[in-house]
Amino acid sequence: MNRQNAAETILSVENISLSFGIMKVLDDISFDIKRGEIRSIIGPNGAGKSSMLNVINGFYHPQEGSITFKGETRKQMAPHVAASHGIARTFQNIALFKGMSTLDNIMTGRNLKMKTNLFWQALHLGPARLEELENREAAEQIIDFLDIQAIRKKPVGKLPYGLQKRVELGRALAAEPDLLLLDEPMAGMNSEEKEDMSRFIIDVNSQFGTTIALIEHDMGVVMDLSDRVLVLDYGKQLADGLPDEVRRNQDVIDAYLGVPHEHA
Amino acid sequence: MNMLDFLFFIEVTLSGLMAGVMYSLVALGFVLIFKASGIFNFAQGVMALFAALTLVGLMEKFGFPIWLAIIGTIAVMIALAWLIERVMLRQLVNQEPIILFMATIGLAYVLEGMGDILWGSDVKVLDLGIPQGAWEWLYDKGVYIEKLEMFAAGTAAIMVAFLAVFFQKTRIGRALRAVADDHQAALSVGISLHTIWVIVWSVAGIVALVAGIMWGSKSGVQFSLSLIALKALPVLILGGFTSVPGAIIGGMIIGVGEKLAEVYVGPFVGGAIENWFAYMLALAFLLFRPQGLFGEKIIERV
Amino acid sequence: MIYRETGQFKAHYQDDQALFPIDQDRYVIFGVLFVTFALVPYLLNEYWLNAILLPFLIYSLAALGLNILTGYCGQLSLGTGGFMAVGAFSVYKLMVAFPELGFIPLVLLSGLITAAVGTLFGLPSLRIKGFYLAVATLAAQFFLIWLFNKVGWFFNYSASGMINAPPMTIFGVIVTGPEANGVAKYYLVAGIVAVFALAAKNIARGRIGRNWMAIRDMDIAAELIGVRPLVAKLSAFAVSSFYVGMAGALYFAVWLGSAEPTEAFDINQSFLVLFMIIIGGLGSVLGSFLGAAFLVIMPILLKNIMVDGFGTDSALAAHIEIIVVGVLIIGFLIVEPHGLARLWRIAKEKMRLWPFPY
Repeated sequence: MNRQNAAETILSVENISLSFGIMKVLDDISFDIKRGEIRSIIGPNGAGKSSMLNVINGFYHPQEGSITFKGETRKQMAPHVAASHGIARTFQNIALFKGMSTLDNIMTGRNLKMKTNLFWQALHLGPARLEELENREAAEQIIDFLDIQAIRKKPVGKLPYGLQKRVELGRALAAEPDLLLLDEPMAGMNSEEKEDMSRFIIDVNSQFGTTIALIEHDMGVVMDLSDRVLVLDYGKQLADGLPDEVRRNQDVIDAYLGVPHEHA
Repeated sequence: MNMLDFLFFIEVTLSGLMAGVMYSLVALGFVLIFKASGIFNFAQGVMALFAALTLVGLMEKFGFPIWLAIIGTIAVMIALAWLIERVMLRQLVNQEPIILFMATIGLAYVLEGMGDILWGSDVKVLDLGIPQGAWEWLYDKGVYIEKLEMFAAGTAAIMVAFLAVFFQKTRIGRALRAVADDHQAALSVGISLHTIWVIVWSVAGIVALVAGIMWGSKSGVQFSLSLIALKALPVLILGGFTSVPGAIIGGMIIGVGEKLAEVYVGPFVGGAIENWFAYMLALAFLLFRPQGLFGEKIIERV
Repeated sequence: MIYRETGQFKAHYQDDQALFPIDQDRYVIFGVLFVTFALVPYLLNEYWLNAILLPFLIYSLAALGLNILTGYCGQLSLGTGGFMAVGAFSVYKLMVAFPELGFIPLVLLSGLITAAVGTLFGLPSLRIKGFYLAVATLAAQFFLIWLFNKVGWFFNYSASGMINAPPMTIFGVIVTGPEANGVAKYYLVAGIVAVFALAAKNIARGRIGRNWMAIRDMDIAAELIGVRPLVAKLSAFAVSSFYVGMAGALYFAVWLGSAEPTEAFDINQSFLVLFMIIIGGLGSVLGSFLGAAFLVIMPILLKNIMVDGFGTDSALAAHIEIIVVGVLIIGFLIVEPHGLARLWRIAKEKMRLWPFPY
């Protein structure tokens, strides 16, 4: 837990605007994330939440604005560079490597920690073998942490939805990220599974000290977990603050919380 | 450039255009099937060969008059479409595109072998009374163009018009477009996938017959016909896999490009660059516009 | 009943990460190697070695190569024939120019040259996917064959355009050219294939193999967790072409002895190798061998049965053969789209549980 650094800003987003053709997806968004906090981004469907995450980890390139991560300012960046700087994520629609086993998925998450070249890999001796074993141990710790020992060798494509979400979290954790982006980690789960996943998120945050940016529709979960909440609506920034402040914000209530049938 | 050179350039361009129309005809069959089922049908070229072989066979072996032979061949192609749907496609629903692609290669082998066994593997002359020889009007002006090629171009134009009406105006055409958009959604509003597939493969079979007649009249009915399937690939790249006008224009670009390259560049590098020029052209094109001529830019989402 | 892993406890991760973690698999592999190297050359005659085992092994190597690219990394290639030609013509030029280097180093060098060419033609894969990429590889196929046909330097200006393998020796035994005997050629090829099959398996189960599969299964997600598409795809093209190039070199120098590009390396070769990995199993080392075995042996078997057994006319037999191949391909895809290797895995699963259904 990094409470002593709580004031340090790990990521700050300044005046980001993103559009596809004439469609403006994000309009002048600015916010920051402090080291060690759980930061939620909420908003109705199509508000630009996922696009915001895509901008942060370099998948979309915004037309305007800049992003400062760990003191380094940039306008855009290739996704694998973002990953090597310590940003990992999960996806709204599960994006696991379906043909591979749980273990292999998590090991792939550690690919940036592995360095040996093709020659040693072909021999599978010496440094390659050592590296494989070290990383296997790290992967096994994550498997233990998420309690998925039983499906270690199963191809993930055939696992039930809830478990797939868990494996995906494991793959992101394997990279030992500084900032973890979670895109609707609880979508489509029942309340029991949601409870499990919430527990994992809190544990990741408190045990590993990982900073988390979370997109979630379940207001109960958001209000309970988050340190601060950012609200987007139609690509615009509607509100930003502590969960209680956001809950009382009239704009937010009008746009989102006040409409009872909006989201299941 | 003097007048003679210019006329020669025109002649090469025109003959390229005409050859391009032939490619378009084959590519058209591809597009139809790809649109409706997402299958890249490698067998389209062999279907053209098979149709032409059947036509010649019916005329030679059974002494059918032309009109009856054509009707007979159409019937055979429809029966074939039905059989393909029954035996092959139905079993492979929901498989990955590469698996379906492989299956159509298997189909190409089967059709090729059957064509050879049923009708013999020698080169056959196909004469349906389509006018041959130079087109005099242009020939007088110093440009040599085959009448047959003009005829092929005309036929292609008529067929495209017909297909456009079929797709836009008829109930089946609408169903086809619905299936092309989203299989499951189409199923859920009560469109039968199986029927649609039989129809599409039948239409593709008839398109193949037309292509087979044109190619066969030009250079005899022989195995090399089936290799045109591979030439259709760059055509499709240029035109986009799902666009009928794209297939036509793509075919012409490839036809003209290939002819011009062969005539003006070929002599310097030893000739026969027709073999690969189309692919290189498509490749160069892809690097600058990966979505094809008429495709929309793809926005990837996660 | 025999295939049980009960009681085989693994106390360390290295035990679990061994090549064959289950004892019985290990015994089987040792058995296969023993049969391959100690028994086969003495039990089988020249015909078997030359007409069946050599092409089987060489095609296995080519299939391994294509499987790395298509099966593991998900990049469809129709240019295998062209890349085999690169390997063949490289080894030919090298054999004529630097015979003192020895045959095996020359084969490896040809592989490296092919890897360079393959990487070059793999560049478009960074922008295009799927069937679009197939066109890029078709361009390679047709362009390379055209090149080897037209440019005299490649075939040393021989009048026929053919290349002939000069005799070369390893430890004093002739392994190339018409004088080489079957046993020597068999040992050479089997040795190379065994070593590189092991290497392929090792690469596939390590970081590089996982990165390939990640690109294959979900390229965007792979990129977002730090796999560089450029490196992953081009390394797959390079390693794949290295294997295919070696296969081409052996195909020409050891098996055929002489070759002419338009016949030996045409587009049908590309399809044949593609069929092998589809029927054998995409993304499986074992599958590459099974597919090659099936497609090498089946036509010979069919021909023997039809021509010798029933006295079928050989032209008709050839037609029937392609129909049967076509039907088998479709049949296989319908029954088990994941190939023979998957069938083998299922059989093993069943054996583990036998006599219980679950």
